[in-house]
Amino acid sequence: MSVSREEVIKIAQLAELQVDEERLPELAEQMSRILDYVAQLAGQTSETGKPFIPGPDALRFRADEVKPAALAFGPDTFAPEFRDGFFLVPKLGQFGDPGEPE
Amino acid sequence: MNDPNEALVNAKTAADRITKTRRLNACLTPPKELRASLVQQAAMAHPSGVLYGMPVAVKDNICTLEFTTTCGSRILEGYRSPYEATAVARLKTAGALIAGKTNCDEFAMGSSTEHSAYGRAVHPHDKTRVPGGSSGGSAALVAAGVVPAALGSETGGSVRQPASFCGIVGIKPTYGRVSRYGLVAFGSSLDQIGVFGRSVHDAARVLSVISGRDARDATCEDRDPLRLPTVPESLQGFVIGVPREYFPSDLDPAVRRACDRAIRMMRDLGAAVREVSLPHTAYAVPTYYIIAPAEASSNLARYDGARYGPRFNGSSDVRALYRETRGQGFGPEVRRRILVGTYVLSSGYYDAYYRKAQQMRALIAQDFRNVFDRGVDLLFTPTTPTPAFKAGEKVTDPVAMYLSDIFTVTANLAGLPALSLPIGRIKGLPIGGQLIGQAFLEDEMLEAAYALERVVPAAGEV
Repeated sequence: MSVSREEVIKIAQLAELQVDEERLPELAEQMSRILDYVAQLAGQTSETGKPFIPGPDALRFRADEVKPAALAFGPDTFAPEFRDGFFLVPKLGQFGDPGEPE
Repeated sequence: MNDPNEALVNAKTAADRITKTRRLNACLTPPKELRASLVQQAAMAHPSGVLYGMPVAVKDNICTLEFTTTCGSRILEGYRSPYEATAVARLKTAGALIAGKTNCDEFAMGSSTEHSAYGRAVHPHDKTRVPGGSSGGSAALVAAGVVPAALGSETGGSVRQPASFCGIVGIKPTYGRVSRYGLVAFGSSLDQIGVFGRSVHDAARVLSVISGRDARDATCEDRDPLRLPTVPESLQGFVIGVPREYFPSDLDPAVRRACDRAIRMMRDLGAAVREVSLPHTAYAVPTYYIIAPAEASSNLARYDGARYGPRFNGSSDVRALYRETRGQGFGPEVRRRILVGTYVLSSGYYDAYYRKAQQMRALIAQDFRNVFDRGVDLLFTPTTPTPAFKAGEKVTDPVAMYLSDIFTVTANLAGLPALSLPIGRIKGLPIGGQLIGQAFLEDEMLEAAYALERVVPAAGEV
């Protein structure tokens, strides 16, 4: 399995992760090696095999009610920017393709 | 009732020892801040608690109110959690002192504690080697005698592998035995808080305190806390399975000799020992390295520069903020795993990778059930294929690093309890033996560990 430079760029965009141009060849090579390694599972399971899910057999649901969050301090303490009960972020520029990594 | 001055004495001793062992880079909390907090905690600790005055260090991916929680990452540099993990709250209720936050691979992704944004942690017996990972800082502090016990976390062996490398005891409980509330999520179907101790008893005492039901974690089973077993006189009645797949021809000869000796000793203690087979073991590491990155890519989506930690440029546009903060805030191994995880979950690849891995996980879990259904109580294996490796030896080769987890990931995939205890040394480097138990039968596993610990020359060369 060989991952191309273009595929790394596409995946990085899906993951909202900036990748430096000069690191792309190394990342493509490492991802290819990892995906080659994990590809050995191909043909080792049946198409109808059931997945394994750990944990309690039946999930316990809590009552759907609003309770005060037991926080020692509010988000204004740990958020990068917070005002009047809102996390502040820059405006959304456009919904289009954000383009190639810088 | 304990001596009411004991906590203060222990607090000051732990603070002194942490200062003296700074060369290990095992504790991320600044010494002055740690000393002040320990003294304050000692004054408030209740002398009737079962862990009164016991300093317990905590891996930096477990939330505490006293100290920052950075997960060994720049993206959470300086972050203070507004709540604490259930495990930490229970330790404090039992009178323990939270003895700082320990260095780890970033977001628990690694096997050497070299992937920390705050520098690598150092092996306590050989500065050229790694202490293992990802909970390497916790293991190093316990092995260096700084604290009697520490918390770590396990996704694929991150407590047992460093315990083995550092010559101490490390326990990974059954999935659902200990609440994950306040454990920063990496691979949610695999993650568990685990415990390090100088001895089986130290580790088991801490595990008992932190275990039990918690309404804040839906994956935590509705069970009472673990009751500690007594130390058995013999292993009469125990059937120990030795899976042949864990003793490959290229296993380090010293590791094989140490395991053979431990098996002989368990037989001498009265255990019946049987060779067994877990036929899908060879597929455990590839299965793990699909499932864990897939879950990580989803869990780590929350770190975007909007809600926690610092921002890294990207002020022109919200997507630039996300991309630049994540690109600069995450280190290389985390970036790599997010990319691999996103890839295997993406359209067109989900069936080929993620679904296959989930199916293989079921076959691996079934292997264990088959063996236990045939009367085997516990399994014994090496914890790692080799003793601690040199720093830098595997850091540029991700697949080589992943293979150091080959004997530990199966218990995480199957959700089973397992522990590592020291069973010998080679040229001064510790070797660990692993016991794998049946789900929620930690007491049986601990009984066998108590018995083996009493007879095995853990500090002796093999």
